[in-house]
This record gives sequence, structure tokens and C-alpha cells, in this order.
Amino acid sequence: MLPNRAAVEGIAENMHLAEVKGRSLWADARTRFLRNRAAVISLIMLCAVAGFALFGGLVAQYEGDFVNFSLIGSNAYLGVPSLETGHYFGTDSNGRDLFARTVQGTGISLMVGVVGALVAVIVGTLYGATAGYYGGRIDGIMMRIVDVLMSIPFMFVLILMLVIFGRSIFMLFLGIGLISWLDMARIARGQTLTIKNKEFVEVAVATGVRPLKIILRHIVPNLLGIVIVYATLLVPNMIIFESFISFLGLGVQEPATSLGALINEGSRTMQFGYYWQIAFPLFFFVVTIFAFFFVGDGLRDALDPKDR
Amino acid sequence: MLSFVFRRLAVAVPTLLILVILSFVLMYAAPGGPFNSERPLPPEVLANIEAKYGLDQPFWKQIVNYVSGVVTSFDFGPSFQYKDRSVNDVIAQGFPVTLTYGFWSFVVAVTVGVSLGVAAAIKQNSWVDYFAVGVSIGAQVLPNFVMAPLLLLVFTLWLGWLPGGGWNGGQWQFLIMPVIALSTSYMASIARITRSSMLEVLNTNFIRTARAKGLPMRRVIWKHAMKPTMLPVLSYLGPAFVGMITGSVIIDVFFSTGGIGQFFVNSAFNRDYSVIMGITILVGTLTILFNLLVDVLYAWIDPKIRY
Repeated sequence: MLPNRAAVEGIAENMHLAEVKGRSLWADARTRFLRNRAAVISLIMLCAVAGFALFGGLVAQYEGDFVNFSLIGSNAYLGVPSLETGHYFGTDSNGRDLFARTVQGTGISLMVGVVGALVAVIVGTLYGATAGYYGGRIDGIMMRIVDVLMSIPFMFVLILMLVIFGRSIFMLFLGIGLISWLDMARIARGQTLTIKNKEFVEVAVATGVRPLKIILRHIVPNLLGIVIVYATLLVPNMIIFESFISFLGLGVQEPATSLGALINEGSRTMQFGYYWQIAFPLFFFVVTIFAFFFVGDGLRDALDPKDR
Repeated sequence: MLSFVFRRLAVAVPTLLILVILSFVLMYAAPGGPFNSERPLPPEVLANIEAKYGLDQPFWKQIVNYVSGVVTSFDFGPSFQYKDRSVNDVIAQGFPVTLTYGFWSFVVAVTVGVSLGVAAAIKQNSWVDYFAVGVSIGAQVLPNFVMAPLLLLVFTLWLGWLPGGGWNGGQWQFLIMPVIALSTSYMASIARITRSSMLEVLNTNFIRTARAKGLPMRRVIWKHAMKPTMLPVLSYLGPAFVGMITGSVIIDVFFSTGGIGQFFVNSAFNRDYSVIMGITILVGTLTILFNLLVDVLYAWIDPKIRY
């Protein structure tokens, strides 16, 4: 007996319901990440901080480099944070609007962190993948170089460079770029060592794909998960690093500013009771670092199944 | 073992040389000499001064002189800014200070960090554990340049218990805040590493065996678990050392303790190259020696390492 036509069509129509929906690695990771409450809250906070840095300038009533001369010397009662005067975060000791300065400082600090991490991702991943893929003597030499560079106290060398070539944000980026990739290279190498023995790499080798192409097309994409995790964890470290130098007055130069420089300025005036001058930059610093660490941890739990 | 040490030294020495040469090349590449000021000196005076400091000689001769001076007699040359003292004087004045509070910070970070981590691991999921984890997460966002103002705010400005800066021959009141500010974030990292390492070790078979044959917990921890637990901690000590010696710059500047960091930053603003180089090389040497020590200790504790 033939099944009736309508039933067959009905089944055919509803076939898609029976299909098992494939879940990619990334979809899995996303569900795991979204289940991590601390990480999600941190991500939202991070977006808020980024929004503050990007659009805070529109809300600010004053330019960051505008000096309100009438406020100099009367910071204690006229420069306090208030909605009426338009100085939401008060003014700094030079009579400049601290809100606008905090917006700028947060922006520069975030930018330094992201650029540092980006350099680390690009240089470190390629370096580590190359070392790991070739192995043998090339690997030995390349990783020895990393070891040597790592055992140099780079902060001192960077300050030396800043002194010699002038203090500029470009030098700062260069210096941060010089060190940020070292850890990433080690991580990428370690991961490459396990990947390069997988079948798909063997197939690529057997079909005559050139080594450089194997690294770029087959190995690097498979490193991506772990690289993203460590890049996220690297961003706060870069921000701390930059703030360290700016705290000493050797980093970002006036009138530009960063969170480290603002914390430094605030710490000089807190003895007079101008607590807002340190409180606001410190708040944004701590929130940003915290959020990055938690997001990084969340990403690690989500993307790095080994650690669970 | 001895050959292992020698092989490590064989890497350490070139590393140091690279550092010396690198910083010298950087200095040499600097646009403008150290004696170019806003009011230019007459050329013959400048030539005399440069001759005195050996700056008129060709590059290779300068570098050979410098390196041989450093290597053979630890002579970092004269300061370019202060005519009455050499880099060695600066180091002799500042280094003992840095060494003192650096040593104490290191001791505090390691002892407090390790005990906190071990306590947290043994009493997992108790209030001790939560406290330790909370502290170590919180301290992550408190690098030295954040800790220093906060400590000053609380202990000097509000409570008035401690002096806000200075050194005074290293009296304990002057030592407390620098040590806390410098050690906090490293203590936190050490606590975190110790905790996870100890938890891992406590779940291994040999610990279960030790427990099963009836050893008391205290003995199991001290005799069996402690050694493998310390391995990851030990490998963190190298980076921690670098971090602390770098952080000493902040401490010196913020608390006016008069260590090498203060000279370093002052020289950075004065473009006093020779002092900066001397301190960079000194710090680099210390770091490399310390890493060597850690490696040797590691090889000594971990029988799995072949050397």
C-alpha cells in the first residue's frame, strides 16, 4: 500500500524539525560565556566605559584643555563636583574640567591597551606559530630570543628610550608593542606544537601546501580561541603598564592625559581634601581593569575547554 | 647539576652583554648630546667637555671603553649632570635603600601569599577560602601606583599613624607603606597560584596514599604536598622580581625613599644618560642573576627536570 501523498508531503515539509541543529565551537562558547554572570556584567560595564570614553565628550560642558582661571586657587569650594556648574567631576588643580579630562584619559588608556594587545596578537601569534611549526633548531633559536628579551627589565629600557627619543605617545606605543608579544608568542608556540600533528595539517603537507600558507590558513585560525583569551587578559596589563609610565610623568604628555597621569595628579592634591580629583580617575581605572580581567576569565572558561 | 648551572650562565652572560650594548647604542643614537642646552656652549668649550667625557672618540672605541669599564671594574662612568659624583656614587647611595624595602616586600609577598594560598586550598569553600580569593581578586586591580596613594590617604592623612614619606635610615615606620604598596599585587598572584597548585596536588594519588596510610594532615601537607605545590610558585618568582624592582621606581618617587628609582626618574628628566644606563644595567644584571637562581632552585626541587 502506498502512503498517501498528503502524508508524505507533510513529512517532507516538517523534515527540518527533526534535523539536529549543529552547534559550532563558537556557539557553544557563547552559551558558556553568557551563563557566566560575572563575565556578562563585566562586559556590560566595559561597554559602558567604552561608551563613556567615546561619547562622554558630547556630555561635557567644557573642553578638556580649557582653563577656567576664575577657579584657580578656589578649588575647595568652587571646583567641587556639581551638576550646576557643569563640572560633573569637579575641576583639577589647574581649573580644567575633570569630566572632560577623565573622558580623554579613559579613551587614551583604552586605546593603549587595545593597540598593545593587537600588536601582541599579530606579532606574537605569527612568531609563536612559526617557531612551533618549524620546530627543531629554528624553534630553539626563536624561543631563546624570547627568553632573553623576557629577562630584561623592559620598563627601564622603555624609559631609557622615552628619554632619548623624546616623550611621545608614539614611543609609548612602540615600547609597549616591543614587549607585549613575548607572552603571546610562548602561548601560540605551545598550542601550535599540539596542532601541527593533527591530520588536517598532515593532509596539507602531503598535498604540497607551502609552510607559510599552512601556518596562515591552517594553524593560526585554530589558535584563535586561546589567542583571544590571552589578548583580553593582556589589555588590562597594558593599561597598567601605560599608567605606570604616565604616573611617573614620562608617558602621555600634557595637554593629553591618561588614567595613570590623572591618578598621579589626584594623588598630589588629596592632602588638601580634593578627593574627587583622585576618586574619579581611580574609579574608572579600577572598573576597567576589573571588567577586563573578568571578561578574560569568562572567555577562558568558555573557549579553553581544558581548564574547566 | 654543575653543568646545568654553567649552561645557564652561558646564556646569562650574552644576555647581559646584549643589554649593555643595546642601552649604549640607544644612548649613542640620541639626537643631541647631553651637553646641548638651550643656551648653546661655544664650540671649543663643548669640544673640551666632550673630550673630557670621551665623547669625541669614534663609536666603537666608546663602546669598548664603556663595556670594558663595566665588566672589569664595575665602573659605570661619570654622571653627565652632576660633576661631583659618578654613577657608582649614585648607585651606592640609592641601592641599599631599594634593596632593603625590596627584600622585605619580597619576603612579605612570598610568605603571606603562600600561607594564604595554602590555607585557602586546605579549607576549600570555607570563609578562609573566600577571603583569600576575594583578596587576590581585589589586589589584581591595585598595582603599586594605586596602592601607594590609597595607603597614604588612609594611614597618613586620615589616621595619622605613619609618616607620609622619607627614609630616615630605614626605621620601621618608614618601611611599612613602601613594603605594603610594593608587595600587595604580587602577594595576591602568589596566593592565587599557590591555591590552585595546592588544590591540584591534594587530588593526586600519592596524597591519597599518604592519607590512607594514616598520616596526619599536617604531615601530609608539609612533607608531601608542599614541594610539588611550590613549583609553579617558584616559576612565578622571576616575573614577580622584575615587577617589584620596576615598582620600586614608583615607591621611590611617591614616598621619597631615596632609592635608585628616584635617581632613575630624576635622570630621565635631566637626560642624564650615564646614570640611566648604569641603573638599567644594574637592574638587568640583578634580574638575570635572580632568574638563574630560580632556574637552579627549580631544577633542584623538581626531579623530573633533566639537566
